[in-house]
Amino acid sequence: MKAIMKLELKKNMQDRGMIFWTLVLPLLFTVLFISVFTSGLNEAESRPVILTIVPGYTVMFVFFIMITMTESLIKDQNNGLVARIASTPLSRNLYLLGKWIPYMYIVFIQIVILLLFGKLVYNVPLEQLFNIIVLALVLTFMVTGVGLALAILVKTTNMGIALTQVLALGGAVLGGLWMPVDMMPDFIQTISRFTPQYWGHQGLQAAMAGTLEIGDFLKTSSILLGFGIVGFILAVVRYPNFLKRTTG
Amino acid sequence: MLKVDHITKAYGKKTALANVSLEIPPGNCFGLVGPNGAGKSTLLKIIAKVIRDYQGKVRQADMDRTIGYVPQEIALEETVTAQDNLLFFGKLYGLSREALRLRIAEVLEEIGLTERAKDKVVTFSGGMKRRLNIGCALLHQPDLIIMDEPTVGIDPQSRQYIFQMIEQLKQKGTTIIYASHYMEEIERICDEAVFLDHGEVIESGEISAILQKHGTPSIFVRGEDCLPEEIEKLGDIQEKEEGYLLITSAPLHAMELIVGYCKQNGTYPERLELAKPRLEDVFFSLTGNLLRE
Repeated sequence: MKAIMKLELKKNMQDRGMIFWTLVLPLLFTVLFISVFTSGLNEAESRPVILTIVPGYTVMFVFFIMITMTESLIKDQNNGLVARIASTPLSRNLYLLGKWIPYMYIVFIQIVILLLFGKLVYNVPLEQLFNIIVLALVLTFMVTGVGLALAILVKTTNMGIALTQVLALGGAVLGGLWMPVDMMPDFIQTISRFTPQYWGHQGLQAAMAGTLEIGDFLKTSSILLGFGIVGFILAVVRYPNFLKRTTG
Repeated sequence: MLKVDHITKAYGKKTALANVSLEIPPGNCFGLVGPNGAGKSTLLKIIAKVIRDYQGKVRQADMDRTIGYVPQEIALEETVTAQDNLLFFGKLYGLSREALRLRIAEVLEEIGLTERAKDKVVTFSGGMKRRLNIGCALLHQPDLIIMDEPTVGIDPQSRQYIFQMIEQLKQKGTTIIYASHYMEEIERICDEAVFLDHGEVIESGEISAILQKHGTPSIFVRGEDCLPEEIEKLGDIQEKEEGYLLITSAPLHAMELIVGYCKQNGTYPERLELAKPRLEDVFFSLTGNLLRE
């Protein structure tokens, strides 16, 4: 399994497209939107705006890893690599884990870099560091778990890209990453509570500000973990079909 | 001995393999022949343990159960180097770090890619990728190598190189199962062959025996006034390359007749050749020459 993880990491580290999606684009969005929404505001008025945008774009952009995950699995499937690996002594379940864990590393590092950027450039607070780290971990688990399910379920990369856009951008709008949830109509506020983006954003924002209470912390972590577990279970259940499509 | 015992595999309602049984002795190079959709790749995947959902049994006695599988696709990670690919597969086969380091150097030498070891596979030619595709299955020095169309779409030099690699493997006593559309390859490198069609074994055995059983010799003659009338009684005559191909079970007698006839008429044939029966002719006679999907 380590061999699969190492190869996956090496491949991704060399992929400029992935670096663009995971780091360059979110940093550009963060800078751009902060400069637009804080223009004409004084420092005190800018603080809450920045504190919304930094975790907001962090949560939004972690979802794009699902494209890379889908692409990687579909490519392995199409070029016969999955079938070839199936002929080696490696267990088929370890292949799945080997394809999943590297993306956890990538997403966690992505979250750390994006939040550190916010700290270093905009001096956003990181008050409850332990809570932030735990939330970053469950957010990582959630997004890669859902990504794994997507990668196993879809049959083409284009389908994966389309569904990722729906999940990432749709969830960003509904989850209050682009505008505060309390500015939205009541029914959308209700819907937003069904999106992982809402819980990820609210949790990180509150932990950064130092206002996340233990009950809310546990609730948010559990909900995100729940989304991840559902994704993982879906992936495991559909994995035999994926293998059947691949190996015949 | 590798025994494939009454294998049946269906995809939905379509039967890919129907009650296929084979015996492959150790050290043998075994050709797998059949048109598209005959079930060759399915059978290879079953032997390679890629497909595990089938009826029947695959047994390996007197063998260490180590298998190297070379799929029809170029199943490599093309965005990394040749060395990275070998390292990856070597680890999957459970080789230790030191053994792997040595084997990678040896395999790179065997496949002629030592100089390109640190280049990304995406920069390789088709032939180089095919060689690396084979190399990845050789790292753990398997007792059985399964090759599914390993020479598709490559230049003659790379094909020649692959044949040399196969010859070396045969000399080492490795059992090889080799599927190909190219009959001349099967004839050249394999000791035995099995013909599959519609998922069933329609013929198997030593290649020389198959040729003797199904192949009809022929003679080719080109030249004016070189065919005596009575030669038509000896077999079928087909027009070919501005001459005639006589398919006959008595080729020497036919040649004698032609030579005698030419002498009598004071003519000389431009070409008069005895053609050996070919596996390709046997293939067509057994499977028909209709296009398959």
